[in-house]
Amino acid sequence: MKNVYKVLAYLVMIEVAVQAAMVVWADAGFGKWIAEGGVADKTLAESGEAPFPEFLGLMIHGMNGMIVIPVIALLLLIASFWAKVPGAVKAAGLVLLLVVLQVTLGIVGHSIPMVGALHGLNALLLFTTALYAARRVAAAKAAPVTTAAQHAVHG
Amino acid sequence: MHRNRRGGGRVRLAVAGAATMALMGPLIWLWQDSLLPEAYSVMDMGYADYGGGRRHSSSEHDAHTGGGASTHGGHGRGAGAGGDVTQLIADADRPADVEVTMVARKQRFQLASGRAFDGYTLNGRSPGPVIKAAEGQLVQVRLVNESVPGGITLHWHGVDVPNGADGVAGVTQDAVGIGKEFTYRFVADQAGTFWYHSHQMSHEQVRGGLLGALVVEPARRDEVTDVVALVHLYNGIRTVNGREGDVHVKAAPGSRARVRVINTEYGVMPAWVSGAPYRLAAVDGTEINGPAPVRDEAVGVAAGGRADLEVTMPEDGSPVRIHLGGPTGVVLGSTSYDAPSVPRPAATLDLLAYGAAAPLAFDPGKPDRRFEYDMGRRPGFLDGVPGVWWTINGHMYPDVPMFHVAEGDVVRMRIVNNSGEGHPMHLHGHHAVVLSRDGVPAAGSPWWVDSLEVGADESYEIAFVADNPGVWMDHCHNLPHASEGLTAHLMYEGVTTPFRVGGPAGNEPE
Repeated sequence: MKNVYKVLAYLVMIEVAVQAAMVVWADAGFGKWIAEGGVADKTLAESGEAPFPEFLGLMIHGMNGMIVIPVIALLLLIASFWAKVPGAVKAAGLVLLLVVLQVTLGIVGHSIPMVGALHGLNALLLFTTALYAARRVAAAKAAPVTTAAQHAVHG
Repeated sequence: MHRNRRGGGRVRLAVAGAATMALMGPLIWLWQDSLLPEAYSVMDMGYADYGGGRRHSSSEHDAHTGGGASTHGGHGRGAGAGGDVTQLIADADRPADVEVTMVARKQRFQLASGRAFDGYTLNGRSPGPVIKAAEGQLVQVRLVNESVPGGITLHWHGVDVPNGADGVAGVTQDAVGIGKEFTYRFVADQAGTFWYHSHQMSHEQVRGGLLGALVVEPARRDEVTDVVALVHLYNGIRTVNGREGDVHVKAAPGSRARVRVINTEYGVMPAWVSGAPYRLAAVDGTEINGPAPVRDEAVGVAAGGRADLEVTMPEDGSPVRIHLGGPTGVVLGSTSYDAPSVPRPAATLDLLAYGAAAPLAFDPGKPDRRFEYDMGRRPGFLDGVPGVWWTINGHMYPDVPMFHVAEGDVVRMRIVNNSGEGHPMHLHGHHAVVLSRDGVPAAGSPWWVDSLEVGADESYEIAFVADNPGVWMDHCHNLPHASEGLTAHLMYEGVTTPFRVGGPAGNEPE
């Protein structure tokens, strides 16, 4: 279970990186398309398709952010219950909390752009927290006295 | 010591198991609770909202529960006898004035632009043929499905057809499967610009091109160059009547031209004019009273909405460009079509104060029903799929309000958008007049709509007369949003539908 927990935590971290890459990839493609004479309006934005391939980045960002990452974060929290790693539950709980916050900021950002800026900052926080959560496993291995052993001694 | 250790382990396992259950239990419950049955009637969906008006029993099992306390006799007319939607049709004995057969196919085809596209055609092309009728004529359209998997229908967007011809799969008919056909009949009693599209798996079939224009010409025709400009994006590429770039139309200097802009897309589209001032002659198939000339302002055409722009050609023969969401558009000219595109004007024409005020044929000040259509958004499951879904009056689909009316009622509806995104709201079978926006009363021409763009944080008050019995959809015409649960219905006293969403016909209206 330790490994499952660790892999899930690293997955959240990788996914956040993918999200950052996708959104900038799409934005760059959009800018290039505009520069080449493309014109966008709400009909294009809502069409779910665009004449530049980088638009795919926005689709991936949406799917990843709204479904895949929340599911991984939820599984991470469940794994933390079974992982027997000190601090894992707290770290995984924090990851899930930040994911919920991140989705909220992303949605609210559509109507209040400044909130979108916080979405960018919170991504860094989430990335770091996921890394911290994953490193709990290594930290537990490094510490010679496990809680279980302590229980045994005192019990 | 060993026993203790194992005991601690067991406690630990129990705690982990309990925590997992505590987390997953409510989620699993919510998930299974959201699953829709294999087939259901929209009449059984959600909860009844009588808008402060008279309650009535609307279906048999309602009558058994006796909760309706129905008192018939308020209005003598109409379908109070308990008709179902298949009886709500145009006069069956009247011969058709306009007859069209349309054959639908799924195929790879060439757009007018020359580009190949995998989608749907009507009589071999997309957009389908422009149907033209004169005001008052009976239109009869035979729809044949040759090869569209999953079935099709045709909905007459903006035409207040009899309910049986409304073309909503699972509500007013079954989807027309491959090898089957369905005949639509309705009187085109209002001159104006309309369009038709499939209302089976509509978010996918409309995107794929199962649509076309419908123009109802006034009985008294003016000398005017009449241009249909149906805007649709194929694979994200904007087209006007299936063409990319400009559509050139000949219009003599000094003559008038009317460009019928149809937005078949899922978002609001700005239209603007360079080379001459324009008048917004009609919105959603209804003439504007006393439209003043407009310069340096764009018109926002709601998704599903129409705007008829009228221009008088300059005497010097210079061309006029109608911009449709960008440089794509219609260029009217005689000697030259060299009309460079200009940027969108920063200002948007406010229809709340456009044109001249005129009295309404009914009094919205004394409504029989008052409804609230408050749109929001929250996380949850929609038919088992997790996401952040739309809500109506705080409820998620299918637990949405069913707006109940009786024939003859004056109805007021307040549409409030707290969902953070704009929604083009489309009520089937009726035109509603805008009374106010964000509390500011309408001051211009009566502004009749069937597709109203309600922006984020905006609220509109609209009113209409319930004069067309049936079961009518009242939904967001950003069609993916409709499939994400932004769909409610308006139901008349005494009207029932035998059709079901799902079932053997695979009805999937959104």
